Amino acid sequence: MDLYRTESTFIRRAVRNYVIAASLAVAIVAAALATAAPARASNDPAVVVHGLVNQALGVLRNNQMPLAQKQDRLRALVAQSFDFGEMSRSALGYHWRSLTPAQRADFTQLFTQFIEDSYLSKISEYKGQSVTFTKTMQLAPGYTQVGSKVLQPGGGDPISLDYRLKFENGEWRIYDVTVDAISIIANYRNQFNRVINGKGFPTLMADLRAKSSQLANSVGGSASGR
Amino acid sequence: MNREGDLKMSSEREAACIGRSLSGVLAAVLMAALLCVSPAMAGEVGAAPSPPPSAPPPGPNNGQPYADPFEPFNSAMLNFNLKVDQYVVFPVANAYASVLPRPARESVGNFFNNVEVIPRFANNLFQLHLARAGTEVARFGINTTLGVGGLFDVADKWFGLKEHRDDFGLTLGHYGVPTGPYLVLPLLGPSTVRDTVGLFADGAMNPLDYLTPWYVYIPANTAQFAIAGINYRSLHLNLFEEVDRYAIDLYGSVQDGYMQRRAHQLKQVDEGTLFGK
Repeated sequence: MDLYRTESTFIRRAVRNYVIAASLAVAIVAAALATAAPARASNDPAVVVHGLVNQALGVLRNNQMPLAQKQDRLRALVAQSFDFGEMSRSALGYHWRSLTPAQRADFTQLFTQFIEDSYLSKISEYKGQSVTFTKTMQLAPGYTQVGSKVLQPGGGDPISLDYRLKFENGEWRIYDVTVDAISIIANYRNQFNRVINGKGFPTLMADLRAKSSQLANSVGGSASGR
Repeated sequence: MNREGDLKMSSEREAACIGRSLSGVLAAVLMAALLCVSPAMAGEVGAAPSPPPSAPPPGPNNGQPYADPFEPFNSAMLNFNLKVDQYVVFPVANAYASVLPRPARESVGNFFNNVEVIPRFANNLFQLHLARAGTEVARFGINTTLGVGGLFDVADKWFGLKEHRDDFGLTLGHYGVPTGPYLVLPLLGPSTVRDTVGLFADGAMNPLDYLTPWYVYIPANTAQFAIAGINYRSLHLNLFEEVDRYAIDLYGSVQDGYMQRRAHQLKQVDEGTLFGK
């Protein structure tokens, strides 16, 4: 504030009053922004998860919609909420570093396809489960966990389903899901690590491809039950 | 990483706030406040520059593979267990389930749960959870009398006394003993060296072993193990139904599932949220 000493007393006082008023204005604006923040959907991870789950349940419960359309809708919902790049990187662990960019892109595409085929094959097994949301907690700066419970229609213990989100590029995206506290990405990380160490990366890609087509073929047949 | 970019930009903005001329002070202060309190900064208001945060690593081992020096044995044992389940345990449990209705089987489960109170009580005591150890004693008393020999869990239903699950493997973990290598036990399934020691320790807390001769307690324990096991399997018939449907490597999936679950149980027992059933 050396600049003020060169001015006259009158200007100094005027400036001081102006700065005080400005600080008040700043404080009011800051308070308004802080309270308005949760309403901005892309900046609240819980809103992202609630939106995804409620829309997905709407698709699953719609008996009029044909299966193919349900699959397309769910694929679109998942594509906008999940961060498949981060999931793929995390699932390979330290092996990611030794892959070429082409291999990484191939793997990400294959892993995305595999996950899609996994959950799409379960659509016709939806039997009216409902979801309640539990607490949201911060794991680390920029990482949040949103909890939910899936209630079975025929009674029995509810299943805890927690979504882990990462804040990147101005939006929250899901990078991991834990089922009854078991992280799916960590589980695949262990599996992929064993396959790469034991049989090599090309074998992992081949196994993923085979499993993916196996799951995709079971979509039509899963209606007949197991 | 974008995170570092965001943080560098915020510190530049803060530096710009301070260096403005008199005529620009009001505009600068207002703009800086607007930008500094923007929720876009990872949910933190006016975040000061800090080292870029790394993701919480998935899995209990910090993302490292599990120690598995016994892998050939474990792999063979896993296959053996799955075959025994497929050809012996599941068919018997299925038949048993069709004969005995579910509430009756749940009562049988309650009976065996009640009888196994001593390891639960002891381990809650070892971990210095005195209130929970007391609850286990109360549960045993109430369920054995009002619950007709332990068949009904009235301590939970009428008095809200929940079962505080605990075992010696968790006690060892609570006091800092690492899990040790992964180990698959015959019939009992995945475990670790630490948890297997725990199983033996809990098994040694059976008063029957000390009050009766060996030709009484060995058949009695075997029968208890078999009946309780079949009963439990009959209450969870779809346990292995789709176990390999989504797995690229079944052994790795089972291994990680067990290790994650066990690490979570250790966290829960320290928090007091590990309940029975």
